[in-house]
Amino acid sequence: MLYLLVGALLVASLILAARRGSGPEGGAEALVRARQALTQLQANLLSPEVIERFSSSDDYEFVASAAPAAANTFFRRERKKIMLAWIGQIRQQVHSLLHFHLGAARFYTRSNFWSEVSLAMDFVRLLLACRVLQVLVYFGGPLVAPRLVTATATAGLRICEITENALAFLTAPDPPIERSIAS
Amino acid sequence: MERPLDQLIYLASTRDYNTGIYRHDGLSIRFSPAVACEALADCHRIVFQELLGFPVKELVLQLEGYMHAAGIGASEFLKSWSQLEPYRVAVPVDTQPLAAEFLYCNLKTALAILETRLTPIPPPPIAWPRRSPAQESPRLRDT
Repeated sequence: MLYLLVGALLVASLILAARRGSGPEGGAEALVRARQALTQLQANLLSPEVIERFSSSDDYEFVASAAPAAANTFFRRERKKIMLAWIGQIRQQVHSLLHFHLGAARFYTRSNFWSEVSLAMDFVRLLLACRVLQVLVYFGGPLVAPRLVTATATAGLRICEITENALAFLTAPDPPIERSIAS
Repeated sequence: MERPLDQLIYLASTRDYNTGIYRHDGLSIRFSPAVACEALADCHRIVFQELLGFPVKELVLQLEGYMHAAGIGASEFLKSWSQLEPYRVAVPVDTQPLAAEFLYCNLKTALAILETRLTPIPPPPIAWPRRSPAQESPRLRDT
């Protein structure tokens, strides 16, 4: 019985060692994918001004009172379409980053267990928020959950920062730029 | 040129359609073509971001101001902007597609509101006083 237990432990440790060892071999590809996902996520995170406009009811009230019916319908439909596309893009890129963190990030960053757990919770929260937001916006329109929109954008920024730090060693320091623009 | 919309259209017009390079003779002579291009591109991005944050109400005013400054008739301006949508070629080169779509949507709606404001409302039909039977029939009038 003891021999069986020791054998099982050995096999388990071998599998673990094999999994850990396989990371860096495919690491370059994973890093490139992660860098692309990060760049896209950063590009897709709209500026705070746009997020504020998304969450504000001023535009909707003004357009409803001042625009003809057709323009009002167009405005609401377009805003909804843009917002759904935005949430969809964030979800997609967050999935890519999640795969990177699960597979390769631990080889390149000195993170402890609790920070990894915290990061995992951030990912789960963000993915869940995106899914809930998609459903809410689809059925209720862009104004249905302004706080969730802001929270999603903030969580996206936080995950970008963490991944940026994880991939920082890939980025060469920028050379000093000499600008000759005089006033 | 104080209005950001005027600035956006102007800066976009300094950009070569074929190469995407911004050209400004005065700045190129004073500094260098590369520096002038970089400075104009930076300004273009800043102005675009500023416009993104504008409420639709403010965009209506921007459009109205631009129209008056350009000295174009309202009907001509509204027709060409609705049909040609010149703002679509006025965005900086690395703009996020969704951000660009956001501005297009706002500008298109603002144009529709401006059109509604500037279109003269036709006067209501005049209600003439009804004639009496005597006025309507010559025979009754004669008798």
